[in-house]
Formats: sequence, structure tokens, C-alpha cells
Amino acid sequence: MIPVRCFTCGKIISNVWEEYRERVKKEESAKVLDDLGIKRYCCRRMLITHVPLVDTFAPYQ
Amino acid sequence: MEIEILEVDDREGRFMLSGSTAAFSNGLRRGMMAEVPTMAIDDVNIYENGSVLFDEQIALRLGLIPLVTDLDSYVLNCDCEEGCTSCQVSMTLNVEGPAVVYSSDLVSSDPNIIPAEDKIPIVELKSGQKLYVEVVARLGLGKNHAKWQPVVACGYKNKPVITITECDGCGECVEVCPKGILSIDESTNKVTVSDEIECSLCKLCEKACYLDGIHAGSKEDVFIFRYESDGSLPADKIPLLAVKQLREKAEQFIEGLK
Repeated sequence: MIPVRCFTCGKIISNVWEEYRERVKKEESAKVLDDLGIKRYCCRRMLITHVPLVDTFAPYQ
Repeated sequence: MEIEILEVDDREGRFMLSGSTAAFSNGLRRGMMAEVPTMAIDDVNIYENGSVLFDEQIALRLGLIPLVTDLDSYVLNCDCEEGCTSCQVSMTLNVEGPAVVYSSDLVSSDPNIIPAEDKIPIVELKSGQKLYVEVVARLGLGKNHAKWQPVVACGYKNKPVITITECDGCGECVEVCPKGILSIDESTNKVTVSDEIECSLCKLCEKACYLDGIHAGSKEDVFIFRYESDGSLPADKIPLLAVKQLREKAEQFIEGLK
């Protein structure tokens, strides 16, 4: 799961994750982040570098 | 001491504090971060957790959700022992998969105390998985845990001052400025500064100027504050609450000295 807040500054970034994930399929990531109001590079790396693992773990529950 | 509000909306604020010292500005910054009480989830009872996350991870994620805080109806240091309606709010979260559990799924016993953001995913449940938790939210201070901090990225800098003594309009400084606040005035053929406050004092313009005619310095007694609210309190109220807390602390200090 995407961390609720940015590790560095504490801004809530998880609420834009789903929109980001959908939009980067078609648009450029930098533009989407600007659009979503994720300005600082600490917050931007949270979304850019996140790897969702729920689907990987789910079969082993 | 003077305060000029540069911009403020619900979530973000910028103001200029002049005629002050670095010590006082830092006091105000720390007051905003650590002394303003906000509501956050503090106790979590987990009845059923079939999700891929451990109980502790779910509790941590719940704690970090900002809650809209009502400082008039709740007290920080309550005299009761077991917790009462004036010091805590209980919420329940009961979701069955397949579904993504969002912060908006929290059902609060007080309709005024709700998550500030609706779309925070807590955990993704697959079919057959279930999450049933009961949580207790309390007021707390940022100095005890970052979840009770009302501000995000709160800081200040000295007011930048760009002085231009000599200029032949070569435009070298305009090109190197990463903030894009310099431009060449067509009529006088000299460099002008459009938004001095935005200057980050990188001094690239000083290095670029072969006449040594531009200088980026700062005013030592003027501070520009920038902060964001996490949604628990409106951004315009946070500095006022911090000042109130600081004043109370100062009064306590004077009282202690007597």
C-alpha cells in the first residue's frame, strides 16, 4: 500500500495515488504530479517510486 | 513587530514577519509544529484483520490520517480517568472485501470529527477478507507524535534583497537565475527584479555578472514564513493558535519566576 504521508515532509500523498496510477498510463508523470499539486521532490518520489505489492501477497494469505 | 499576510487559503499560508529576531521566528515555527493541539487516532482495537497488512501497520496508517479538529468541544488534558465525550471520539471501520478501505469508511460517533481527506487508502481487501476495527481519537501535541502536527513543511527564511549597482544590460544574470525573477527592462536596458521574495539566494547571478554589479543578500530582521496545513485545522488559524500557546507558556514562565 502507498504510504499515507510523505516520509520527509508529512504531506498527505496517498489520496492522489489512484488517480496518479491511472493517469501515468497515458500522460507524462511530471505533468500529472504538477496537476495533482505534488510540488516538492520529497513528495514526488513517494508516488514515482512506489511499487504496489498487495496483489503479490494476496494469494498467500 | 509587524506581520504582513502574503497569501492564505484553507490549506496553505505565507506571511512576512518584520522587526523580529531569528530566535522569536524559530519559537513561532516550533509553536506551530509542536504546540497546537490536533485530533488524531491514538488507540486501535482490532477485532478482525484478514488483510495483507499486519495489525501494527494498519494502526500506524490509521494514526496518520488527519482528522478535522474542533478545539472548542474537546479538551487536551481531561481530568477523567477512563476517557469521556469531551476528550475522545470513537470511530469504527467495518469493511468486507473485495474492496479498498478508504479513510471515508471510518464511521465517527461525532459528525464534526471526520477524516480531512476522504480518499486515503488504508488497505486493499481481496474477496473473503475482512477488516473490523474500533479506534479512539484524541487531541495531542506535535511534540509527542508527528501525527498531531497540524502543519506540514513549516519553515521560514530571511527576506532576500537584491541590489543592483551597475548594469550594462548583458542579460547573463537573467539567463542563470533558476527562479526566473530577473528580466531586462527594454526602456532602460538594465536588469530589474520582479519577485524578490522568490529568490533562493543561490547567488548564481553574482557569479554571472562580470561587472560585479548585482548582489543577493538578505534582511536579517524580516522573515518569510511558509507552511501548509494537513487539513486538521484551517491554515489561517494555525499561527494564531501557536501565538496563543506561546503567550500562555511565557505567562507560566513569568509566574514560575515570581
